[in-house]
Amino acid sequence: MPRQLEWTRRAVLRLAWVGVIAASALTIEPLVQYLTSKEDRLQSTLVGYSKPLDVNSDWQNTANARVWVKRDSLGVMALVATCTHLGCEVHYHVEKKEWLCPCHGSIYDLEGRPISGPALKALPRVAVELKPDGSLIINTSKQVGMDTRV
Amino acid sequence: MKDQKNFVHHIRPIFVPSKALSVLYTFCLGGVSFLAFVVLGVTGLLLMFHYQPGNSTGFSSLLTLASVIPYGGMIRNLHYWAGQLMVVTVNLHMLRVVWTHSYKPPKQLNWLVGVALLMLILFLDFTGYLLIGSQESGAAATVAVNILGLIPGLGIGLAQVLFGEPSAISGSTLVVYVWHCFALPMIALFLQLYHFWRIRRDGGVRPL
Repeated sequence: MPRQLEWTRRAVLRLAWVGVIAASALTIEPLVQYLTSKEDRLQSTLVGYSKPLDVNSDWQNTANARVWVKRDSLGVMALVATCTHLGCEVHYHVEKKEWLCPCHGSIYDLEGRPISGPALKALPRVAVELKPDGSLIINTSKQVGMDTRV
Repeated sequence: MKDQKNFVHHIRPIFVPSKALSVLYTFCLGGVSFLAFVVLGVTGLLLMFHYQPGNSTGFSSLLTLASVIPYGGMIRNLHYWAGQLMVVTVNLHMLRVVWTHSYKPPKQLNWLVGVALLMLILFLDFTGYLLIGSQESGAAATVAVNILGLIPGLGIGLAQVLFGEPSAISGSTLVVYVWHCFALPMIALFLQLYHFWRIRRDGGVRPL
């Protein structure tokens, strides 16, 4: 004959312990993710780009998600997609030819000049160096003017 | 009560005053404060893995922690809100002690320990605010340094020991970090353990 299940105080407390341990086990994976995250380590300010860039190409993303390159009739330029309002990463919308900030709705035109929203300054342009083999080295620590081309 | 010298009996006493079992007597405000303190200790330890103190690194590392590191925002917010909760509950705890006349003999020493703990918690709250490293925290640090500087002779040295050299736009310095993460919590922890032990020695209420 099976033992009758009795909800004694001891049984309830034991079940509570099982619940506590199970809940703790659920925190292990997030904790490991948090502790092993390398997102805040120092990154090199230099970014490379080796694919061919056509004249009047659209903005192309580099290995660094926030660094974009483009070539127009005058030369090559590089842009950092960090909103000049509060530093969110702005996204390039190919069909509209605009940069949109997901945080506070700033909009920049194709060249990175602010059109609307709280941002007042243009997206920063950074220095590009052309290597002999045609690949690019972008120095994100060195800002340059809007008209600078390489 | 007098026979309960044994540590186990101290934690799980044979006798407690029946009146002391009522939740409405203490509202468990001290217990809630201690729970918040434990949460603050655990989340604070986790924050130390990604936070970098310093005038130039404090705020940016906090932004990265809260927006890029997985679960960083949650841990930061747990730490922040537990801190806010603790400041509220320790103040309410003090009001309750006044309300029930629990500061009177034989508990007068524990009252003084409690007052010291209140000061420590408020200073922990303030140093935590400085560690955010924002412009506001820089202004707060500047005000604190200037107020301390008014103390004749000792003031400037005291400000150096407590705050280091905060800049006007960031209160985050290594000195504040060490006080906030190690020295103050350790002093507060040992004072709290004495505080709890003292309750039972003074024949007080049942702890959590």
